[in-house]
Amino acid sequence: MSDTWTVAGKELLDLRRDRLFAILIAFLAVATLISVAVASADFRNQQGAYNLYVANLVKSGTSIAPAAPQLFPLKLLRGGIEYLEILGALFAIVLGYETIAKEKHRGTLALVLSRPLGRFSFAGGKMLGLSIAWLGVVSALTVVSLLAVVTIGQAPIRGSDVARLLVSSGFAWLYLVFWTALTVGLTALSTRLSTGLILALIIWLAFVLIIPQIGDTMDPDNQVPGGLFATLRIKKPDELAVLAQFSAFDGIRNGLEVSSVTKHFERLTFAFLGIKDQYNQQPLGLVWVAMLPYSITLTAATFASVVFAALATTRRTLQRTHS
Amino acid sequence: MGLTLNVPAGEVFGLLGHNGAGKTTTVNLLTTLLEPSSGDATINGHSVTADAAGVRRSIGYLPENVQFYDDLTLLENLRFFARLSGLRRPDARIRDVLSFLDFEGHDNQKIGMFSKGMRQRVGIAQAVLHEPAVLFLDEPTSGLDPEGVRTLRETIVRLNREFGMTVFMNTHLLSEVTKTCTSIGILNHGALVHHDSLANTLAAFPAEDSLEDIYFRLDVTSPS
Repeated sequence: MSDTWTVAGKELLDLRRDRLFAILIAFLAVATLISVAVASADFRNQQGAYNLYVANLVKSGTSIAPAAPQLFPLKLLRGGIEYLEILGALFAIVLGYETIAKEKHRGTLALVLSRPLGRFSFAGGKMLGLSIAWLGVVSALTVVSLLAVVTIGQAPIRGSDVARLLVSSGFAWLYLVFWTALTVGLTALSTRLSTGLILALIIWLAFVLIIPQIGDTMDPDNQVPGGLFATLRIKKPDELAVLAQFSAFDGIRNGLEVSSVTKHFERLTFAFLGIKDQYNQQPLGLVWVAMLPYSITLTAATFASVVFAALATTRRTLQRTHS
Repeated sequence: MGLTLNVPAGEVFGLLGHNGAGKTTTVNLLTTLLEPSSGDATINGHSVTADAAGVRRSIGYLPENVQFYDDLTLLENLRFFARLSGLRRPDARIRDVLSFLDFEGHDNQKIGMFSKGMRQRVGIAQAVLHEPAVLFLDEPTSGLDPEGVRTLRETIVRLNREFGMTVFMNTHLLSEVTKTCTSIGILNHGALVHHDSLANTLAAFPAEDSLEDIYFRLDVTSPS
Protein backbone atom coordinates (compact mmCIF):
# COMPACT_ATOMS: atom_id res chain seq x y z
CA MET A 1 0.00 0.00 0.00
CA SER A 2 2.86 2.39 0.74
CA ASP A 3 4.11 1.94 -2.85
CA THR A 4 0.66 2.93 -4.07
CA TRP A 5 0.81 6.11 -1.98
CA THR A 6 4.35 6.80 -3.22
CA VAL A 7 3.20 6.58 -6.85
CA ALA A 8 0.12 8.69 -6.01
CA GLY A 9 2.26 11.32 -4.30
CA LYS A 10 4.58 11.55 -7.30
CA GLU A 11 1.58 11.81 -9.62
CA LEU A 12 0.17 14.74 -7.65
CA LEU A 13 3.57 16.45 -7.59
CA ASP A 14 3.82 15.98 -11.36
CA LEU A 15 0.31 17.37 -11.92
CA ARG A 16 1.01 20.39 -9.73
CA ARG A 17 3.78 21.35 -12.16
CA ASP A 18 1.86 20.39 -15.30
CA ARG A 19 0.95 23.52 -17.25
CA LEU A 20 -1.61 21.70 -19.39
CA PHE A 21 -3.44 20.54 -16.27
CA ALA A 22 -3.44 24.07 -14.84
CA ILE A 23 -4.80 25.45 -18.13
CA LEU A 24 -7.59 22.84 -18.28
CA ILE A 25 -8.67 23.53 -14.72
CA ALA A 26 -8.57 27.31 -15.20
CA PHE A 27 -10.71 26.85 -18.32
CA LEU A 28 -13.32 24.86 -16.39
CA ALA A 29 -13.40 27.50 -13.64
CA VAL A 30 -13.80 30.33 -16.16
CA ALA A 31 -16.51 28.35 -18.00
CA THR A 32 -18.40 27.94 -14.69
CA LEU A 33 -18.13 31.67 -13.98
CA ILE A 34 -19.33 32.58 -17.46
CA SER A 35 -22.25 30.15 -17.31
CA VAL A 36 -23.41 31.61 -13.97
CA ALA A 37 -22.99 35.13 -15.34
CA VAL A 38 -25.05 34.30 -18.45
CA ALA A 39 -27.76 32.53 -16.43
CA SER A 40 -28.05 35.37 -13.92
CA ALA A 41 -28.16 37.95 -16.73
CA ASP A 42 -30.94 35.91 -18.31
CA PHE A 43 -32.82 35.88 -15.00
CA ARG A 44 -32.42 39.65 -14.61
CA ASN A 45 -33.87 40.07 -18.12
CA GLN A 46 -36.86 37.93 -17.16
CA GLN A 47 -37.27 39.96 -13.98
CA GLY A 48 -37.04 43.23 -15.94
CA ALA A 49 -39.64 42.03 -18.44
CA TYR A 50 -41.90 40.94 -15.58
CA ASN A 51 -41.57 44.30 -13.80
CA LEU A 52 -42.39 46.12 -17.06
CA TYR A 53 -45.38 43.85 -17.60
CA VAL A 54 -46.65 44.42 -14.05
CA ALA A 55 -46.17 48.19 -14.42
CA ASN A 56 -48.23 48.15 -17.61
CA LEU A 57 -50.91 46.08 -15.88
CA VAL A 58 -51.05 48.60 -13.04
CA LYS A 59 -51.29 51.48 -15.54
CA SER A 60 -54.18 49.75 -17.25
CA GLY A 61 -55.95 49.48 -13.90
CA THR A 62 -55.54 45.75 -13.29
CA SER A 63 -54.58 44.85 -9.75
CA ILE A 64 -54.04 41.09 -10.29
CA ALA A 65 -50.48 40.33 -11.40
CA PRO A 66 -49.04 36.94 -12.39
CA ALA A 67 -46.48 35.36 -10.08
CA ALA A 68 -43.06 36.90 -10.31
CA PRO A 69 -40.24 34.79 -11.77
CA GLN A 70 -38.46 33.16 -8.88
CA LEU A 71 -34.72 32.87 -8.66
CA PHE A 72 -33.51 29.40 -7.72
CA PRO A 73 -29.78 29.92 -7.12
CA LEU A 74 -28.64 26.41 -8.03
CA LYS A 75 -30.43 26.60 -11.38
CA LEU A 76 -27.78 29.14 -12.37
CA LEU A 77 -25.30 26.26 -12.45
CA ARG A 78 -26.95 24.47 -15.38
CA GLY A 79 -24.39 25.77 -17.89
CA GLY A 80 -21.52 24.79 -15.59
CA ILE A 81 -22.86 21.24 -15.34
CA GLU A 82 -23.19 21.03 -19.11
CA TYR A 83 -19.59 22.22 -19.53
CA LEU A 84 -18.51 19.54 -17.06
CA GLU A 85 -20.51 16.89 -18.92
CA ILE A 86 -18.78 17.59 -22.21
CA LEU A 87 -15.52 19.43 -21.59
CA GLY A 88 -14.90 17.93 -18.16
CA ALA A 89 -15.11 14.44 -19.66
CA LEU A 90 -12.78 15.51 -22.47
CA PHE A 91 -10.26 16.94 -20.00
CA ALA A 92 -10.51 13.77 -17.92
CA ILE A 93 -9.63 11.77 -21.04
CA VAL A 94 -6.63 14.02 -21.75
CA LEU A 95 -5.44 13.61 -18.15
CA GLY A 96 -5.84 9.82 -18.21
CA TYR A 97 -3.99 9.58 -21.51
CA GLU A 98 -1.22 11.91 -20.41
CA THR A 99 -0.49 10.04 -17.19
CA ILE A 100 0.29 6.78 -19.02
CA ALA A 101 1.65 8.30 -22.25
CA LYS A 102 4.20 10.40 -20.38
CA GLU A 103 5.51 7.36 -18.51
CA LYS A 104 5.75 5.30 -21.70
CA HIS A 105 7.14 8.12 -23.81
CA ARG A 106 9.77 9.57 -21.51
CA GLY A 107 11.26 6.18 -20.66
CA THR A 108 10.88 6.29 -16.88
CA LEU A 109 9.07 2.94 -16.77
CA ALA A 110 12.29 0.90 -16.73
CA LEU A 111 13.35 2.58 -13.48
CA VAL A 112 9.91 2.11 -11.91
CA LEU A 113 9.31 -1.47 -13.04
CA SER A 114 12.75 -2.69 -11.99
CA ARG A 115 11.63 -2.04 -8.40
CA PRO A 116 9.71 -4.41 -6.14
CA LEU A 117 6.24 -2.98 -6.73
CA GLY A 118 3.07 -4.94 -6.01
CA ARG A 119 0.87 -6.08 -8.90
CA PHE A 120 -1.52 -3.13 -8.57
CA SER A 121 0.80 -0.56 -7.00
CA PHE A 122 1.57 1.36 -10.17
CA ALA A 123 -1.97 1.45 -11.57
CA GLY A 124 -3.45 1.91 -8.10
CA GLY A 125 -1.07 4.76 -7.35
CA LYS A 126 -1.83 6.44 -10.65
CA MET A 127 -5.58 6.16 -10.10
CA LEU A 128 -5.32 7.26 -6.48
CA GLY A 129 -3.26 10.32 -7.48
CA LEU A 130 -5.62 11.25 -10.30
CA SER A 131 -8.70 10.72 -8.11
CA ILE A 132 -7.23 13.01 -5.45
CA ALA A 133 -6.40 15.54 -8.17
CA TRP A 134 -10.00 15.46 -9.43
CA LEU A 135 -11.26 15.77 -5.85
CA GLY A 136 -9.19 18.93 -5.53
CA VAL A 137 -10.46 20.25 -8.86
CA VAL A 138 -14.12 19.48 -8.06
CA SER A 139 -13.76 21.05 -4.61
CA ALA A 140 -12.28 24.19 -6.17
CA LEU A 141 -15.05 24.30 -8.79
CA THR A 142 -17.66 23.88 -6.03
CA VAL A 143 -16.24 26.88 -4.19
CA VAL A 144 -16.06 28.86 -7.46
CA SER A 145 -19.69 27.90 -8.21
CA LEU A 146 -20.89 28.98 -4.77
CA LEU A 147 -19.02 32.29 -4.97
CA ALA A 148 -20.28 32.87 -8.52
CA VAL A 149 -23.89 32.24 -7.53
CA VAL A 150 -23.64 34.57 -4.54
CA THR A 151 -21.61 37.37 -6.15
CA ILE A 152 -22.45 37.28 -9.87
CA GLY A 153 -25.92 35.79 -9.50
CA GLN A 154 -26.65 37.84 -6.35
CA ALA A 155 -28.69 34.90 -5.09
CA PRO A 156 -29.01 33.96 -1.42
CA ILE A 157 -27.65 30.49 -0.61
CA ARG A 158 -29.23 28.32 2.09
CA GLY A 159 -27.71 25.39 3.94
CA SER A 160 -29.77 22.92 1.92
CA ASP A 161 -28.44 24.48 -1.31
CA VAL A 162 -24.90 23.85 -0.13
CA ALA A 163 -25.81 20.24 0.68
CA ARG A 164 -27.33 19.77 -2.80
CA LEU A 165 -24.26 21.29 -4.40
CA LEU A 166 -21.95 19.01 -2.40
CA VAL A 167 -23.92 15.91 -3.43
CA SER A 168 -23.74 17.04 -7.07
CA SER A 169 -20.00 17.66 -6.69
CA GLY A 170 -19.63 14.08 -5.48
CA PHE A 171 -21.29 12.84 -8.64
CA ALA A 172 -19.12 15.17 -10.73
CA TRP A 173 -16.06 13.61 -9.11
CA LEU A 174 -17.29 10.08 -9.91
CA TYR A 175 -18.03 11.11 -13.50
CA LEU A 176 -14.56 12.60 -14.07
CA VAL A 177 -12.81 9.64 -12.43
CA PHE A 178 -14.82 7.33 -14.73
CA TRP A 179 -13.44 8.97 -17.88
CA THR A 180 -9.89 9.24 -16.57
CA ALA A 181 -9.79 5.57 -15.48
CA LEU A 182 -11.28 4.40 -18.77
CA THR A 183 -8.58 6.26 -20.72
CA VAL A 184 -5.80 5.04 -18.42
CA GLY A 185 -6.88 1.45 -19.16
CA LEU A 186 -7.23 1.99 -22.90
CA THR A 187 -3.87 3.79 -23.19
CA ALA A 188 -2.11 1.09 -21.15
CA LEU A 189 -3.57 -1.63 -23.37
CA SER A 190 -2.69 0.09 -26.65
CA THR A 191 0.54 -0.78 -28.38
CA ARG A 192 0.46 2.63 -30.03
CA LEU A 193 -0.18 5.40 -27.53
CA SER A 194 -2.44 7.31 -29.91
CA THR A 195 -4.74 4.29 -30.28
CA GLY A 196 -5.78 4.51 -26.62
CA LEU A 197 -6.54 8.20 -26.97
CA ILE A 198 -8.48 7.72 -30.21
CA LEU A 199 -10.56 4.90 -28.69
CA ALA A 200 -11.36 7.02 -25.65
CA LEU A 201 -12.36 9.93 -27.90
CA ILE A 202 -14.62 7.68 -29.98
CA ILE A 203 -16.34 6.49 -26.79
CA TRP A 204 -16.60 10.10 -25.61
CA LEU A 205 -18.10 11.16 -28.96
CA ALA A 206 -20.65 8.34 -28.84
CA PHE A 207 -21.66 8.50 -25.19
CA VAL A 208 -21.24 12.20 -24.40
CA LEU A 209 -22.37 13.82 -27.64
CA ILE A 210 -24.18 11.52 -30.06
CA ILE A 211 -26.36 9.27 -27.88
CA PRO A 212 -27.59 12.01 -25.50
CA GLN A 213 -28.24 14.23 -28.54
CA ILE A 214 -30.34 11.50 -30.19
CA GLY A 215 -32.26 11.05 -26.93
CA ASP A 216 -32.81 14.80 -26.62
CA THR A 217 -33.97 15.03 -30.23
CA MET A 218 -36.46 12.20 -29.69
CA ASP A 219 -37.89 13.90 -26.58
CA PRO A 220 -41.15 15.61 -27.64
CA ASP A 221 -40.66 18.14 -24.86
CA ASN A 222 -37.47 19.34 -26.53
CA GLN A 223 -39.10 20.13 -29.88
CA VAL A 224 -40.35 23.54 -28.78
CA PRO A 225 -38.51 26.03 -26.54
CA GLY A 226 -40.16 25.90 -23.14
CA GLY A 227 -41.51 22.41 -23.75
CA LEU A 228 -44.12 21.10 -26.21
CA PHE A 229 -46.77 20.25 -23.63
CA ALA A 230 -46.28 23.45 -21.64
CA THR A 231 -46.58 25.54 -24.81
CA LEU A 232 -49.77 23.73 -25.78
CA ARG A 233 -51.00 24.26 -22.19
CA ILE A 234 -51.51 20.54 -21.76
CA LYS A 235 -51.74 19.54 -18.12
CA LYS A 236 -49.48 16.85 -16.63
CA PRO A 237 -52.11 14.04 -16.44
CA ASP A 238 -53.05 14.69 -20.08
CA GLU A 239 -49.39 14.81 -21.04
CA LEU A 240 -48.86 11.41 -19.41
CA ALA A 241 -51.96 10.07 -21.19
CA VAL A 242 -50.60 11.24 -24.55
CA LEU A 243 -47.16 9.78 -23.83
CA ALA A 244 -48.77 6.46 -22.83
CA GLN A 245 -49.78 6.10 -26.47
CA PHE A 246 -46.10 6.30 -27.44
CA SER A 247 -44.66 4.06 -24.72
CA ALA A 248 -42.52 2.02 -27.14
CA PHE A 249 -41.05 5.17 -28.66
CA ASP A 250 -40.42 6.66 -25.23
CA GLY A 251 -38.88 3.38 -24.07
CA ILE A 252 -36.38 3.49 -26.93
CA ARG A 253 -35.64 7.16 -26.27
CA ASN A 254 -35.09 6.54 -22.57
CA GLY A 255 -33.08 3.37 -23.27
CA LEU A 256 -30.75 5.34 -25.51
CA GLU A 257 -30.31 8.02 -22.90
CA VAL A 258 -29.62 5.68 -19.99
CA SER A 259 -27.00 3.83 -22.05
CA SER A 260 -24.89 6.96 -21.67
CA VAL A 261 -23.04 7.55 -18.41
CA THR A 262 -23.22 11.25 -19.21
CA LYS A 263 -27.02 11.16 -19.09
CA HIS A 264 -26.86 9.46 -15.69
CA PHE A 265 -24.62 12.24 -14.43
CA GLU A 266 -26.91 14.87 -15.95
CA ARG A 267 -30.09 13.41 -14.48
CA LEU A 268 -28.46 13.16 -11.06
CA THR A 269 -27.08 16.69 -10.98
CA PHE A 270 -30.17 18.25 -12.60
CA ALA A 271 -32.32 16.56 -9.95
CA PHE A 272 -30.19 17.46 -6.95
CA LEU A 273 -29.60 21.04 -8.09
CA GLY A 274 -33.29 21.43 -8.88
CA ILE A 275 -32.57 22.29 -12.51
CA LYS A 276 -35.20 19.74 -13.44
CA ASP A 277 -38.46 21.40 -12.34
CA GLN A 278 -39.87 18.10 -11.12
CA TYR A 279 -37.28 18.03 -8.33
CA ASN A 280 -36.94 21.75 -7.67
CA GLN A 281 -37.56 22.60 -4.01
CA GLN A 282 -38.29 18.97 -3.22
CA PRO A 283 -36.85 17.56 0.04
CA LEU A 284 -33.36 16.13 -0.41
CA GLY A 285 -34.48 12.70 0.87
CA LEU A 286 -37.15 12.48 -1.80
CA VAL A 287 -34.63 13.34 -4.53
CA TRP A 288 -32.27 10.69 -3.15
CA VAL A 289 -34.96 8.03 -3.36
CA ALA A 290 -35.92 9.02 -6.90
CA MET A 291 -32.31 9.15 -8.06
CA LEU A 292 -31.07 6.02 -6.29
CA PRO A 293 -30.88 3.87 -9.47
CA TYR A 294 -28.83 6.54 -11.26
CA SER A 295 -26.50 7.05 -8.32
CA ILE A 296 -25.94 3.28 -8.14
CA THR A 297 -25.21 2.97 -11.86
CA LEU A 298 -22.84 5.96 -11.93
CA THR A 299 -20.97 4.60 -8.90
CA ALA A 300 -20.87 1.10 -10.42
CA ALA A 301 -19.67 2.45 -13.78
CA THR A 302 -16.87 4.39 -12.10
CA PHE A 303 -15.88 1.40 -10.00
CA ALA A 304 -15.83 -0.83 -13.11
CA SER A 305 -13.75 1.75 -14.95
CA VAL A 306 -11.18 1.91 -12.13
CA VAL A 307 -11.02 -1.91 -11.99
CA PHE A 308 -10.51 -1.95 -15.77
CA ALA A 309 -7.66 0.55 -15.44
CA ALA A 310 -6.03 -1.51 -12.68
CA LEU A 311 -6.31 -4.77 -14.63
CA ALA A 312 -5.18 -3.24 -17.92
CA THR A 313 -2.13 -1.44 -16.51
CA THR A 314 0.29 -4.32 -16.08
CA ARG A 315 4.05 -4.66 -16.50
CA ARG A 316 3.43 -6.39 -19.81
CA THR A 317 1.01 -3.84 -21.29
CA LEU A 318 3.10 -0.90 -20.13
CA GLN A 319 6.21 -2.23 -21.85
CA ARG A 320 4.61 -2.99 -25.18
CA THR A 321 6.27 -1.44 -28.20
CA HIS A 322 4.94 2.01 -28.84
CA SER A 323 5.46 4.93 -31.11
CA MET B 1 19.15 -19.24 -28.47
CA GLY B 2 19.97 -20.15 -24.85
CA LEU B 3 22.53 -18.42 -22.68
CA THR B 4 24.31 -20.05 -19.75
CA LEU B 5 26.34 -17.70 -17.62
CA ASN B 6 27.61 -17.52 -14.04
CA VAL B 7 28.92 -14.29 -12.56
CA PRO B 8 30.32 -14.76 -9.03
CA ALA B 9 29.52 -12.19 -6.34
CA GLY B 10 31.94 -9.30 -6.13
CA GLU B 11 32.84 -9.30 -9.84
CA VAL B 12 32.65 -6.41 -12.26
CA PHE B 13 31.41 -8.28 -15.29
CA GLY B 14 31.41 -6.75 -18.76
CA LEU B 15 29.09 -8.20 -21.39
CA LEU B 16 30.39 -7.34 -24.84
CA GLY B 17 28.82 -7.79 -28.21
CA HIS B 18 27.86 -6.08 -31.44
CA ASN B 19 24.57 -4.23 -31.91
CA GLY B 20 21.71 -6.70 -31.83
CA ALA B 21 23.78 -9.41 -30.12
CA GLY B 22 21.26 -9.58 -27.28
CA LYS B 23 23.04 -7.64 -24.52
CA THR B 24 20.10 -5.41 -23.59
CA THR B 25 17.68 -8.33 -23.85
CA THR B 26 19.90 -10.24 -21.43
CA VAL B 27 19.89 -7.35 -18.96
CA ASN B 28 16.12 -6.91 -19.35
CA LEU B 29 15.64 -10.59 -18.55
CA LEU B 30 17.95 -10.45 -15.55
CA THR B 31 16.28 -7.29 -14.19
CA THR B 32 12.83 -8.92 -14.69
CA LEU B 33 11.72 -6.25 -17.15
CA LEU B 34 11.19 -9.11 -19.61
CA GLU B 35 9.85 -12.56 -18.82
CA PRO B 36 11.87 -15.42 -20.29
CA SER B 37 9.98 -17.62 -22.77
CA SER B 38 11.88 -20.55 -21.26
CA GLY B 39 14.70 -21.15 -18.82
CA ASP B 40 15.56 -19.28 -15.66
CA ALA B 41 18.19 -17.12 -14.02
CA THR B 42 19.09 -16.61 -10.39
CA ILE B 43 20.20 -13.25 -9.05
CA ASN B 44 21.56 -13.17 -5.51
CA GLY B 45 19.66 -16.39 -4.77
CA HIS B 46 16.35 -15.23 -6.29
CA SER B 47 14.84 -16.76 -9.41
CA VAL B 48 13.70 -14.29 -12.08
CA THR B 49 10.71 -16.52 -12.84
CA ALA B 50 9.67 -17.69 -9.37
CA ASP B 51 10.75 -14.76 -7.21
CA ALA B 52 10.85 -11.66 -9.39
CA ALA B 53 10.13 -9.41 -6.39
CA GLY B 54 13.16 -10.86 -4.59
CA VAL B 55 15.30 -10.13 -7.66
CA ARG B 56 14.01 -6.56 -7.80
CA ARG B 57 14.88 -6.03 -4.13
CA SER B 58 18.43 -7.24 -4.81
CA ILE B 59 19.27 -5.17 -7.85
CA GLY B 60 19.96 -1.65 -8.94
CA TYR B 61 19.48 -0.80 -12.60
CA LEU B 62 20.72 1.97 -14.85
CA PRO B 63 19.16 1.70 -18.32
CA GLU B 64 20.76 3.11 -21.45
CA ASN B 65 19.70 6.74 -21.92
CA VAL B 66 18.21 6.93 -18.45
CA GLN B 67 15.20 9.24 -18.16
CA PHE B 68 13.69 10.94 -15.12
CA TYR B 69 10.70 13.07 -14.23
CA ASP B 70 12.06 16.29 -15.68
CA ASP B 71 9.63 18.60 -13.88
CA LEU B 72 10.65 17.21 -10.50
CA THR B 73 13.82 18.20 -8.69
CA LEU B 74 16.77 15.92 -8.11
CA LEU B 75 15.69 15.35 -4.51
CA GLU B 76 12.06 14.64 -5.47
CA ASN B 77 13.16 12.13 -8.10
CA LEU B 78 15.53 10.33 -5.75
CA ARG B 79 12.97 10.29 -2.92
CA PHE B 80 10.45 8.69 -5.27
CA PHE B 81 12.78 5.93 -6.43
CA ALA B 82 14.15 5.36 -2.93
CA ARG B 83 10.64 4.89 -1.52
CA LEU B 84 9.77 2.50 -4.33
CA SER B 85 12.86 0.55 -3.33
CA GLY B 86 11.58 0.26 0.22
CA LEU B 87 13.37 3.14 1.97
CA ARG B 88 10.78 4.86 4.15
CA ARG B 89 12.87 7.87 5.24
CA PRO B 90 15.37 8.17 2.42
CA ASP B 91 16.76 11.71 2.85
CA ALA B 92 19.83 10.77 4.91
CA ARG B 93 20.70 7.96 2.50
CA ILE B 94 20.22 10.28 -0.48
CA ARG B 95 22.68 12.76 1.06
CA ASP B 96 25.22 9.96 1.61
CA VAL B 97 24.91 8.73 -1.96
CA LEU B 98 25.13 12.21 -3.47
CA SER B 99 28.17 12.89 -1.31
CA PHE B 100 29.74 9.59 -2.42
CA LEU B 101 29.15 10.60 -6.05
CA ASP B 102 30.51 14.10 -5.35
CA PHE B 103 27.24 15.48 -6.66
CA GLU B 104 26.05 17.88 -3.99
CA GLY B 105 24.38 21.28 -4.35
CA HIS B 106 21.83 20.30 -7.00
CA ASP B 107 19.07 19.01 -4.71
CA ASN B 108 16.40 21.50 -5.67
CA GLN B 109 17.21 21.82 -9.35
CA LYS B 110 14.82 20.27 -11.83
CA ILE B 111 16.36 17.31 -13.62
CA GLY B 112 15.14 18.66 -16.94
CA MET B 113 17.98 21.21 -16.68
CA PHE B 114 20.69 18.56 -16.19
CA SER B 115 23.34 17.61 -18.77
CA LYS B 116 23.79 14.04 -19.96
CA GLY B 117 26.73 13.54 -17.58
CA MET B 118 24.74 14.85 -14.62
CA ARG B 119 21.79 12.63 -15.50
CA GLN B 120 24.07 9.63 -15.63
CA ARG B 121 25.27 10.36 -12.10
CA VAL B 122 21.68 10.68 -10.94
CA GLY B 123 21.10 7.38 -12.72
CA ILE B 124 23.84 5.76 -10.65
CA ALA B 125 22.47 7.42 -7.50
CA GLN B 126 18.93 6.05 -8.00
CA ALA B 127 20.37 2.60 -8.72
CA VAL B 128 22.44 2.34 -5.52
CA LEU B 129 20.20 4.16 -3.02
CA HIS B 130 18.91 0.93 -1.53
CA GLU B 131 22.39 -0.67 -1.45
CA PRO B 132 21.63 -3.46 -3.91
CA ALA B 133 23.76 -6.58 -4.06
CA VAL B 134 23.94 -6.45 -7.85
CA LEU B 135 24.14 -3.40 -10.07
CA PHE B 136 23.08 -3.67 -13.72
CA LEU B 137 24.38 -1.02 -16.10
CA ASP B 138 23.22 -0.96 -19.72
CA GLU B 139 25.69 0.92 -21.92
CA PRO B 140 26.49 3.30 -19.04
CA THR B 141 29.04 5.36 -21.00
CA SER B 142 26.76 5.91 -23.98
CA GLY B 143 26.73 9.59 -24.93
CA LEU B 144 29.16 10.70 -22.23
CA ASP B 145 32.16 12.95 -22.87
CA PRO B 146 35.64 11.65 -21.91
CA GLU B 147 35.48 13.28 -18.48
CA GLY B 148 32.05 11.75 -17.84
CA VAL B 149 33.34 8.35 -18.92
CA ARG B 150 36.27 8.59 -16.52
CA THR B 151 34.08 9.70 -13.60
CA LEU B 152 31.65 6.89 -14.23
CA ARG B 153 34.44 4.33 -14.48
CA GLU B 154 35.89 5.47 -11.17
CA THR B 155 32.44 5.32 -9.56
CA ILE B 156 31.86 1.76 -10.74
CA VAL B 157 35.23 0.63 -9.42
CA ARG B 158 34.60 2.32 -6.04
CA LEU B 159 31.15 0.80 -5.71
CA ASN B 160 32.66 -2.59 -6.29
CA ARG B 161 35.68 -2.17 -4.03
CA GLU B 162 34.17 -0.15 -1.17
CA PHE B 163 30.73 -1.77 -0.98
CA GLY B 164 31.39 -5.16 -2.54
CA MET B 165 28.68 -4.54 -5.11
CA THR B 166 28.58 -7.01 -7.99
CA VAL B 167 28.39 -5.10 -11.28
CA PHE B 168 26.96 -6.46 -14.52
CA MET B 169 27.68 -4.06 -17.34
CA ASN B 170 26.81 -4.03 -21.03
CA THR B 171 29.14 -2.00 -23.13
CA HIS B 172 30.56 -1.35 -26.54
CA LEU B 173 33.71 0.32 -25.27
CA LEU B 174 36.43 -2.30 -25.06
CA SER B 175 38.85 0.19 -23.53
CA GLU B 176 36.46 0.73 -20.61
CA VAL B 177 36.16 -2.99 -20.05
CA THR B 178 39.92 -3.28 -19.76
CA LYS B 179 40.00 -0.54 -17.12
CA THR B 180 36.91 -1.53 -15.15
CA CYS B 181 35.94 -5.18 -15.43
CA THR B 182 37.34 -8.19 -13.65
CA SER B 183 35.65 -10.66 -16.00
CA ILE B 184 34.08 -10.49 -19.44
CA GLY B 185 31.63 -12.32 -21.61
CA ILE B 186 31.27 -11.93 -25.35
CA LEU B 187 27.86 -12.39 -26.88
CA ASN B 188 27.42 -13.13 -30.56
CA HIS B 189 23.92 -13.48 -32.04
CA GLY B 190 22.50 -14.46 -28.64
CA ALA B 191 25.21 -17.02 -27.85
CA LEU B 192 28.01 -16.60 -25.35
CA VAL B 193 31.19 -17.21 -27.36
CA HIS B 194 33.62 -16.36 -24.57
CA HIS B 195 33.47 -16.03 -20.78
CA ASP B 196 36.49 -15.72 -18.49
CA SER B 197 38.32 -13.35 -16.20
CA LEU B 198 39.95 -10.41 -17.92
CA ALA B 199 43.38 -11.58 -16.84
CA ASN B 200 42.84 -15.09 -18.23
CA THR B 201 41.41 -13.69 -21.44
CA LEU B 202 44.41 -11.47 -22.05
CA ALA B 203 46.77 -14.35 -21.13
CA ALA B 204 44.97 -16.76 -23.46
CA PHE B 205 45.71 -14.60 -26.47
CA PRO B 206 49.35 -13.54 -26.04
CA ALA B 207 49.67 -12.74 -29.72
CA GLU B 208 46.97 -10.08 -29.57
CA ASP B 209 47.87 -6.54 -28.51
CA SER B 210 44.54 -5.55 -27.02
CA LEU B 211 41.09 -6.72 -26.02
CA GLU B 212 39.88 -5.26 -29.30
CA ASP B 213 42.14 -7.62 -31.23
CA ILE B 214 40.93 -10.53 -29.10
CA TYR B 215 37.34 -9.50 -29.73
CA PHE B 216 37.83 -9.68 -33.49
CA ARG B 217 39.92 -12.82 -33.20
CA LEU B 218 36.88 -14.47 -31.62
CA ASP B 219 35.14 -13.72 -34.93
CA VAL B 220 32.42 -11.54 -33.43
CA THR B 221 30.57 -10.05 -36.36
CA SER B 222 27.67 -7.71 -36.71
CA PRO B 223 24.62 -9.00 -38.52
CA SER B 224 24.67 -7.68 -42.08
